[in-house]
Amino acid sequence: MTQETLKPQEKKALIELLYQLADDDFLLAFRGSEWLGLAPHIEEDVAFSSISQDMMGHANLYYNLLEDLGEGEADRIAHLRSPDQFRNAIILEEVNGPGTYLKEPDYDWAFTVVRNYFYAVHKHIRLDSLRHSSYEPLAEAARKIMTEQYYHLMHWEIWFKQLMTSTDEAILRMTVAIQKVWRDFGGVLTLGPYYEDIVKANFIDDENVMKKRWNNKIEAVLKEVGASYPGEPRMERGNGRNGVHTEDLKQATATLSEVYATNPATGW
Amino acid sequence: MNESTSEFYNVYEVFSKKTDKSPFQHSFSLLAPNADMALIMAKENFFRRETVADIWVVKRENIRGLNQDEREMLKRLDKQYRETKGYGYLKKKWRDYNQEQFTEQHILGGRGDNS
Repeated sequence: MTQETLKPQEKKALIELLYQLADDDFLLAFRGSEWLGLAPHIEEDVAFSSISQDMMGHANLYYNLLEDLGEGEADRIAHLRSPDQFRNAIILEEVNGPGTYLKEPDYDWAFTVVRNYFYAVHKHIRLDSLRHSSYEPLAEAARKIMTEQYYHLMHWEIWFKQLMTSTDEAILRMTVAIQKVWRDFGGVLTLGPYYEDIVKANFIDDENVMKKRWNNKIEAVLKEVGASYPGEPRMERGNGRNGVHTEDLKQATATLSEVYATNPATGW
Repeated sequence: MNESTSEFYNVYEVFSKKTDKSPFQHSFSLLAPNADMALIMAKENFFRRETVADIWVVKRENIRGLNQDEREMLKRLDKQYRETKGYGYLKKKWRDYNQEQFTEQHILGGRGDNS
C-alpha cells in the first residue's frame, strides 16, 4: 500500500497508529534527555543521552510520515499539539521522579531502567511486525529504526538483569519500580480505539499477538533473575491512545515546545 | 572518587577494529563494574559516530605490561647488520644499469630490447 492507494478509513487508522508510534518515542526520549548530567556515572550519561537522541530521531521519522499524509509540518506536529491530541501511553510521559532537571532532581534510576527495558522489549516486537507492514513507507522506516533498536534493547537488558541480581537495596528498588510500571504498562501494549481498522489493513500484527510475545519474553526474563511474574500489566490511569493524559504530559510538552512556540515561523 | 566507588569500578581497555579485515587496535579506556557493562558503554561512548566492525574490552589489571625497570630489556645496540636496509642501494644500481644499457643500444641503432 502507498499513500495513493489508501482508502479513507485505512488512512485514518494509519494516522492514528503513526501518532502512537511517534508520540511513544518522543515522550520517552524527552524523559531520557532530562537525565543528561544526572546518570549514575559518566559513561552511562553519554550512552543514555545518545540513546535518547536516537529515539528522538525515530519519532522524527514517524512525524515525517504523518507530514506526508497531510497532517502538517513535522515540527508543528511535534510542538504545537494540545495534550489531548497526543497518543502516547501514559506510563511514557511520567516524570523521572521528584524535582526537575534544573531544580533538585531526585530521579529514580530503577524506574528509568524498568520503564525503558519494558518499552524496548515491546518496541522490538512492534518493529519486527512493522517491518512487514502493508504500508511500504512505514515498513521502510521500521527497518531503519530496527538497526539502532538492537543496541537500545541490549543496553537496557544488561542494566535490568544486573540490577535485578545485585544488592538487596537494588533488588528492592527494582521490585518497587516494576510494580509501579506494571500498573500502567498495559497502555503501551494497546493499539487504541482504531485497533480493528489498523489490524484489518495489515499495518501491524494484532495487539493480542504482540501482547502475548511481550508477556512471554518478560515472564522468561523475570524468571531468569528470580522474580515472579505479576500477571498481565494494567492500565489504571486510562488509555493514552484515546487522548487521556496526566499533568506530566502538559509539563513535558510545555518544556519541549518552549523555544519553538515563541515563533513557529522561524527555522530553528 | 571515594574508596567504595574505586573498588566497585574497574578500568577496562577498549580495543576495536574498523573493518572485519583490519587488526584490533587499542582505542580508549573506561570505568565499568564488569565486562558486560564495559562493552555496552564502549559502544556508545566511542563508536556512536564512527563505524566499527568489532569491539573487545579487557580489564586493565588482566594485562601484563612492563614496569619501568623491565623496559630496560627493550634497549639494544645498533645492529644494522641484522636489517635488510643495507641493500637499499640495489634499486638505484639496477636503475643506473638499465639506463646505461638502453643508451648504449640506442647509440648502436638497436631498439634496446634485442628483438
